[in-house]
Amino acid sequence: MIQEEEILRELKSKFIFLENRMRISRQRRIFLEVEYSNFPALFDYAVKVLGFSMLCAITGLDEGETLGFIYHLAKDSGITLNIKTALPKEKPLINSVINYFPCAEVYERELADLFGAQVEGMPAGNRYPLTDDWPENEFPMRKDWLSPQAQKGQVDKNA
Amino acid sequence: MGVAEKIVSWARRKSPWILHFNSGACNACDIEIVASLTPVYDIERFGMQLKASPRHADILVCSGPVTKQIEARIKRIYEQMPEPKFVIAVGSCGSSGGVFSGCYNVGGGINSVIPVSLYIPGCPASPKAIIDGVIKLLKSLEVK
Amino acid sequence: MHNSGEFKLPFGPQHPALKEPEGFSVALKGEKILGVDIRLGYNHRGIEKACEERTYIQDIYLIERICGICSHAHSSCFVQAVEEIAGIETPKRALFIRTLIGELERIHSHLLWLGVAGHEIGFDTLLMYSWRDREIVMDLLALLTGNRVHYAMNTIGGVRRDIKGQHRQKIQQAIGQLEERTKYYIDLVSNETTIIKRLSGVGVLSKEDALRLGAVGPTARASGVKRDIRCDDPYAAYGELSFEVVTDDRCDVYGRTVVRLKELMQSYAIVRQVLELMPQGPIAAKFGRKVPAGEAFSRYEAPRGEDVHYIKANGTDKPERVKVRAPTLANIQSVKQMLKDRYLADMPIVIAAIDPCFSCTDRTIALNYAHPAKKALLSWPQLHSFSIEWYKKQGIDFSKLNQSLRRTSD
Repeated sequence: MIQEEEILRELKSKFIFLENRMRISRQRRIFLEVEYSNFPALFDYAVKVLGFSMLCAITGLDEGETLGFIYHLAKDSGITLNIKTALPKEKPLINSVINYFPCAEVYERELADLFGAQVEGMPAGNRYPLTDDWPENEFPMRKDWLSPQAQKGQVDKNA
Repeated sequence: MGVAEKIVSWARRKSPWILHFNSGACNACDIEIVASLTPVYDIERFGMQLKASPRHADILVCSGPVTKQIEARIKRIYEQMPEPKFVIAVGSCGSSGGVFSGCYNVGGGINSVIPVSLYIPGCPASPKAIIDGVIKLLKSLEVK
Repeated sequence: MHNSGEFKLPFGPQHPALKEPEGFSVALKGEKILGVDIRLGYNHRGIEKACEERTYIQDIYLIERICGICSHAHSSCFVQAVEEIAGIETPKRALFIRTLIGELERIHSHLLWLGVAGHEIGFDTLLMYSWRDREIVMDLLALLTGNRVHYAMNTIGGVRRDIKGQHRQKIQQAIGQLEERTKYYIDLVSNETTIIKRLSGVGVLSKEDALRLGAVGPTARASGVKRDIRCDDPYAAYGELSFEVVTDDRCDVYGRTVVRLKELMQSYAIVRQVLELMPQGPIAAKFGRKVPAGEAFSRYEAPRGEDVHYIKANGTDKPERVKVRAPTLANIQSVKQMLKDRYLADMPIVIAAIDPCFSCTDRTIALNYAHPAKKALLSWPQLHSFSIEWYKKQGIDFSKLNQSLRRTSD
């Protein structure tokens, strides 16, 4: 896992705050955590310097007090860099990364619709994936959101 | 013409025109529906033809658990079909929502939105089951 | 869409009879497309949420049904992630069986695509031929797994069914037949002028754009981008198999056709290797019910391209979070790019050429003409007919080919 360790070394030397916040879970899989204030610089470095030229997905997470966001980046060599950051639920304001990856648009719309993320820098366009008449402030992927069926106790979890 | 006579004259035609519609399914049933048209299954030998417009269709062959996005559309397609009209719900999702029953963006099967004449179970429903089902529907309409 | 300075798509009042949004909004100048907006979400079911409410084993069956074509792809991608978090050592034989089913799935999917592409350009005999051949692999999958689609082969820790001795011969036989048929299709596509004319220069995506927009799968590979998860980030048994990543430099729909046909040939070779190299042994490792806290990121080369799953476990028998990014979503921006400055008549085949995992046929197409300003609505079948008629006027007509092939068919 020479390449993975090399990446970790480079990141540690550039961003000292990453010490103890990175791990290689297996070959080609690096996970790391960062405060959102440090995220933009780290993301920029990962893409422009370390050569992570693909954004595979952005995962939203409901962590209770915070909303988590994992940016799954990948390189041609198959190594993936999974950068996790988080913001308070009352103000989950993130900057769009479409200037790096145009494909991020639909991933970010999904974070907005399903988690209530507020994405700065999004162009005008249709929401995704919910309907236009979806009630405001209802974010299905938040843990405390129950579907109408679930509320009525109609979800058979043993089905 | 009374309703009974209308059905008789239609059944005599023996060439039902089918409109296929996917109400948010995984596509498996839809592919099996299309496969029914291809040489190995060849549903056309029973006189059935796939049509493009609801206004020309006798039977709406519908798959999927009816997502919220598609609810209004499926209702309108049904409204645009001339009488007598029939609806076949293909697959588990079409019948009851299938594995997606209880999912937040899903209705609960086609009969939650429009009346269904026949259910063809399966996940997906195989071409043989589809042909069998359609023939059952046609037979049930024949005046003895 | 992100380059909003280029054009402004006038979202006018909805057509009175249309209460739901259009699937496609096309800005036109004459017959040329200025831009396309694709509205997604029609098959948004709420699967990720449902996964959190069900156990890992139940989720396998749900995840399979994200897509009725890449069913095994999604299910494998999912179980791979769970096995990683749980620290399960999946037996080698299981990995080989997963690979076998995965390649058979790729074969059925690419043949399906060939037929759909044929249909979109008016070459309906190709649909009949390729889907008839596709039945060979559908029968095989039904024999091996018990179902034509949604094979339920995977479990956490391995697979649920073994490949028996008597299956091997059937597999070899089927592959042999399919290989012959595929050679015929390659020959047809390489030499039939009408096909070459119809598909060349259509839906162009430069290598630069493919990279910039994050294209995946055959769409990317037909633009010269050598990306294939089976090779770049191997999973299942791919690390032990030898195969080529097929690319093409044509960057158009013709290139995408050639790539898929050549990939079929690669799949036949992979299946043969799998049968040869499959080790003896158990087909599944033990799995309890609970998965210890942890996370994993799994990638799989589905027939349409890279499929990714992220799973977070919390020590219970239900996942904390399941995130799925199917390949088609990654190709949306590329499709928009491909349609720019092309003819409206190109829309069906260009969209079909990314092999989209959404049902196209039910989408309404809203047309917004620039000068003189007017709006129109088309159904997908109307667009389909328009496209075929438009190309007939350009001298590209498949009627003769359809007739001649029908005569020679058995």
